[in-house]
Amino acid sequence: MEIKGEQDFNGPRELLYELLLDPDVLSAALPGVERFEEVAPETYESTMRVGIASVRGTYTGRVEVLEQSPPESYRLRIDGSGKPGGVRADATVELSENGSGTTMHYRADVKARGTIARLGGRLLGGVARLLIGQFFKSIEQQVDDRAA
Amino acid sequence: MTIADGPALPKLIGERVKRREDPRLIQGQATYVDDIKLPGMLHLAFKRSDIAHGVITRIDTSAAAAMDGVELVITGTELADHLGPMPIGTPFPAPDHFSVATDKVRYVGEPVAVVVAEDRYIARDAADAIEVEYDELPAVVDPEAAMEADSATLHEGFERNIAVESYWGGTGVNPETAQPEDDSAVDAAFAEADVVVSQRMLNQRLAPNAMEPRGVVAQYEPGREYLTVWSATQNPHILRTLVAAMMGLGEHQVRAVAPEVGGGFGCKINIYGEEYVAAALSRLVKAPVKWIEDRTEAFLTTTHGRDLLGYIDLAAKSDGTITGLKARIIADIGAYEVLLTAMIPTLTGLMMNGVYRLPVVRHELTEVFTNKTPTDAYRGAGRPEGLYFLERAVDMVARELDMDPAEIRRKNFVPADEFPFATQSGLVYDSGNYEPCLDKALEVADWQGLLAERDAARAEGRIVGVGLSFYVEVCGLGPSAVVPTGGWEHSGVTVERGGKVTATTGASPHGQGNETTFAQMLADHFSIPLEDITILHGDTGVVKQGIGTFGSRSQAVGGAALISAAGKAGDKMKQFAAAMMTDQEVSPEDLVFEDGRIQVEGAPEVSKTFAEVADYAYVPVPLPPGMEPGVSEEAFFEPENNTYPFGCHISMVEVDRDTGETKLLKLIAVDDCGNVINPLIVDGQVHGGLAQGIGQAMFEEVVYDEDGQPVTASFMDYVMPRAADLPVFELDRTVTPTPINPLGAKGVGEAGTIGSTPCVVNAAVDALAPFGVTHIEMPLRPERMWRIINEGEGGQS
Amino acid sequence: MSEPVPITINVNGRKRSAMVEPRLLLVHFLRESLNLTGTHVGCDTSQCGACTVLLDGSSAKSCTVFAVQADGSEVQTIEGLADGDELHPLQDGFWEEHGLQCGYCTPGMIMSAVNLLEENPAPSEAEIREGISGNLCRCTGYQHIVNAIQHAAERMAQS
Repeated sequence: MEIKGEQDFNGPRELLYELLLDPDVLSAALPGVERFEEVAPETYESTMRVGIASVRGTYTGRVEVLEQSPPESYRLRIDGSGKPGGVRADATVELSENGSGTTMHYRADVKARGTIARLGGRLLGGVARLLIGQFFKSIEQQVDDRAA
Repeated sequence: MTIADGPALPKLIGERVKRREDPRLIQGQATYVDDIKLPGMLHLAFKRSDIAHGVITRIDTSAAAAMDGVELVITGTELADHLGPMPIGTPFPAPDHFSVATDKVRYVGEPVAVVVAEDRYIARDAADAIEVEYDELPAVVDPEAAMEADSATLHEGFERNIAVESYWGGTGVNPETAQPEDDSAVDAAFAEADVVVSQRMLNQRLAPNAMEPRGVVAQYEPGREYLTVWSATQNPHILRTLVAAMMGLGEHQVRAVAPEVGGGFGCKINIYGEEYVAAALSRLVKAPVKWIEDRTEAFLTTTHGRDLLGYIDLAAKSDGTITGLKARIIADIGAYEVLLTAMIPTLTGLMMNGVYRLPVVRHELTEVFTNKTPTDAYRGAGRPEGLYFLERAVDMVARELDMDPAEIRRKNFVPADEFPFATQSGLVYDSGNYEPCLDKALEVADWQGLLAERDAARAEGRIVGVGLSFYVEVCGLGPSAVVPTGGWEHSGVTVERGGKVTATTGASPHGQGNETTFAQMLADHFSIPLEDITILHGDTGVVKQGIGTFGSRSQAVGGAALISAAGKAGDKMKQFAAAMMTDQEVSPEDLVFEDGRIQVEGAPEVSKTFAEVADYAYVPVPLPPGMEPGVSEEAFFEPENNTYPFGCHISMVEVDRDTGETKLLKLIAVDDCGNVINPLIVDGQVHGGLAQGIGQAMFEEVVYDEDGQPVTASFMDYVMPRAADLPVFELDRTVTPTPINPLGAKGVGEAGTIGSTPCVVNAAVDALAPFGVTHIEMPLRPERMWRIINEGEGGQS
Repeated sequence: MSEPVPITINVNGRKRSAMVEPRLLLVHFLRESLNLTGTHVGCDTSQCGACTVLLDGSSAKSCTVFAVQADGSEVQTIEGLADGDELHPLQDGFWEEHGLQCGYCTPGMIMSAVNLLEENPAPSEAEIREGISGNLCRCTGYQHIVNAIQHAAERMAQS
């Protein structure tokens, strides 16, 4: 499944780039995160709770940040699993200046397994959009706080 | 001497008799396996693989084992001490297959561990708490790619994932050498043909979806060293044999019971790992255990059907005479061979002769392992695939030659005077008379009227098509030479004191209505009321021997065994009756059964009632010389050949230009299954078969993604035909009896499934032919149809 | 797991009280606690309708209702349909017209049809097919089920 979209932020892209790769910021911004630690350079481990329908559960995951090209783009490789199954995603994030701020373009190729794939597949897109929406709202807040 | 005064009893064979099974079923009083509760019974849940292909590196059962109410958690490796690899029922080489995976998993849903707990909720919670880690391997999903040298392989010793390869061709197989006689004739036929059609066709993977999921209750009694297994199975006797072997017990120590069974359609023929596990764990924990499958488990682990890819070439002369067939078939059999897996696709080639004279045939079959659920029989089992390929190809030739689809078939029929007819594949069709069946179908459908209706609709801009198919299939499996489990059937007939009759049959039904049809046969045989007869089945403790219900064999083989046993019991009744009438010098040969009496033929005043004779049989004073008391007889029936029913199906479809949705407007089915015992039940069998065949044509498909993840694992995503999807079926029949059994009945369980699928697809292709297509892959999904209409993907579907 | 809670449900005219886990499904309460095993489970996603019962007079799929949600309600199952020894016209119709084969979907199918005929006592063939589209049958191809419901509708209209 492919998830893609774009989101505008008020701040400069250098600031956004920094925030988006700051473990403390991410930990605060990702919904349901209980743990987010750097376990090796550019590699993080996280525990996250999702409370939505058939993808409900606690997931443990590993995030690798690859191909960093500040302040323009980076790639994430994400592998998470929990009782309802697992998700593997390969995502690219691109930041561009839009005059008044920064536009973020994201695109992720997501592969699911287990109950998530079988029954949650139809929900996964909606859940992802919900979580991404919450995430952006939080990042937006932090950008506004820092920019102010 | 008593004089006849009872009412005349109507003959019941051929009559529309209401089913005797129904009162318990319509009142919620039947006992299916999940309705069984035993004192102290524990519940099983399986932890199953979430990945398609990988090596198990770690299983942590500690959290599950620590939960309240959990009795035992056991992994595949631990269970291997109690259960060896599972047996299969075909002679083909097969890789080891354990009930629960020991080292490697090969499909999503394969069990890796088992929980035994106090209730099913706790068992499921505990299974969820088991943690499994894998080293993932690349998933093998595409059967053609699976045969490439660079593909990952599922099993050691099966290079390029090939399980079975076979080849035959030419002008037929030489029975002496089992080799093709002359293969060059095939190439010559194609070189000389006026027209050749070549088409790659997929007969897609399906989920049988009996409405009752599988389930098993096992109770091992240590003090008796005796195991009882209740299972939702089509063949309790095979279950008994295989469970006994797996448990190291004799068949005398195992009783297998198929209680009320909620449909099978082939997927309850296989004896599954869960059945062996339940038996083994009952012995281990010293308590009865139960496992009931949920629907998602059914989609993942109950055998799938079909999934054959065909490369089909058909050659013909310009007048429509078919001159040769080439078929290269690739069967995607999934991850393992189970009971009949490898045999099913072999039936496809055997039946691809269809109803035609085919001068030359070349047939290649490759069965391939992939990381999917294993396949086995699904209603029709090999025949729908073969007849679909053939009937599509014949239709394509007709279209190429601008011939009427009915006339091209008529031109190539095996003529009625050539039966018994030996096919290119070595089968011998018992009896057939195809032309009257075709004519009747054309008449019932008003074929010319349908064509005119179609053309008128097209003139209005509607997208309408008509289609026709003519099938022949093989029923009455046996004989034993071709069925590894044995191809006979067994029956027992006991005349009880008081003149009531109890009969047993090894043909264990699961919706077919044998309790009614078999009672009709005995009622006529003994000329006693239907109510005086009980048919018992499905319990190896009651039914001494049996094979089971599959391959439309209940009537053709099981019914023949019943009649044979009834004949023996009847002979004995006549001997006792003659002994009761010695003063009248009556000989048993003079006696007949008539209206509840045993009488001298044509002389009802010289008679005894059936009940009187039955009473005498159990207190025979004097006992006639050379006779034993009582009347309890049994018989095995071994058919000398199969039966070959046939039929013609016609349909009309309309495709919505805006949505691509296909609506089935009409379906006419004229089937010939030989003599009919109960037309109500035969119609019901045809209806159900039609719905499943239409389901394959229009709606159903098991889909895996490129990682081997099944994405159709519930009724939300797997589209089953619903009432509003189907038209009112128009049925009729011709009757061509078989000489193979005394009933002249051929079998009808699978007919509807075989004819309807190509019939509906032929109609859909006819509908979209104006858009340039010559073939459309199943199912006829709206998106697929819409693209052809709107994007001109002619022939590229 | 949560603590059991008390419920009282009127099932087939009889008051049944029990302490149940909040996650217990109504169908399991009927089958396991009350031994009313005529109601079947055919899927777990409310697609097949084998578990259909009447909940306060309307058809409901009891595999997706928690027992606690039915607290205080009236439930009718297939076991409560006949009037003593006299079959309900729908039961009779299914028997007469061969509306069943394996019988597994039948109780749910009949309960849906009860609801259908209450809402529409004289349905057309198309309305019947639409009305039972929430119930799957794999054996019959539905035609004899449609006949059975028509048979029952005619009989109920006469009485």
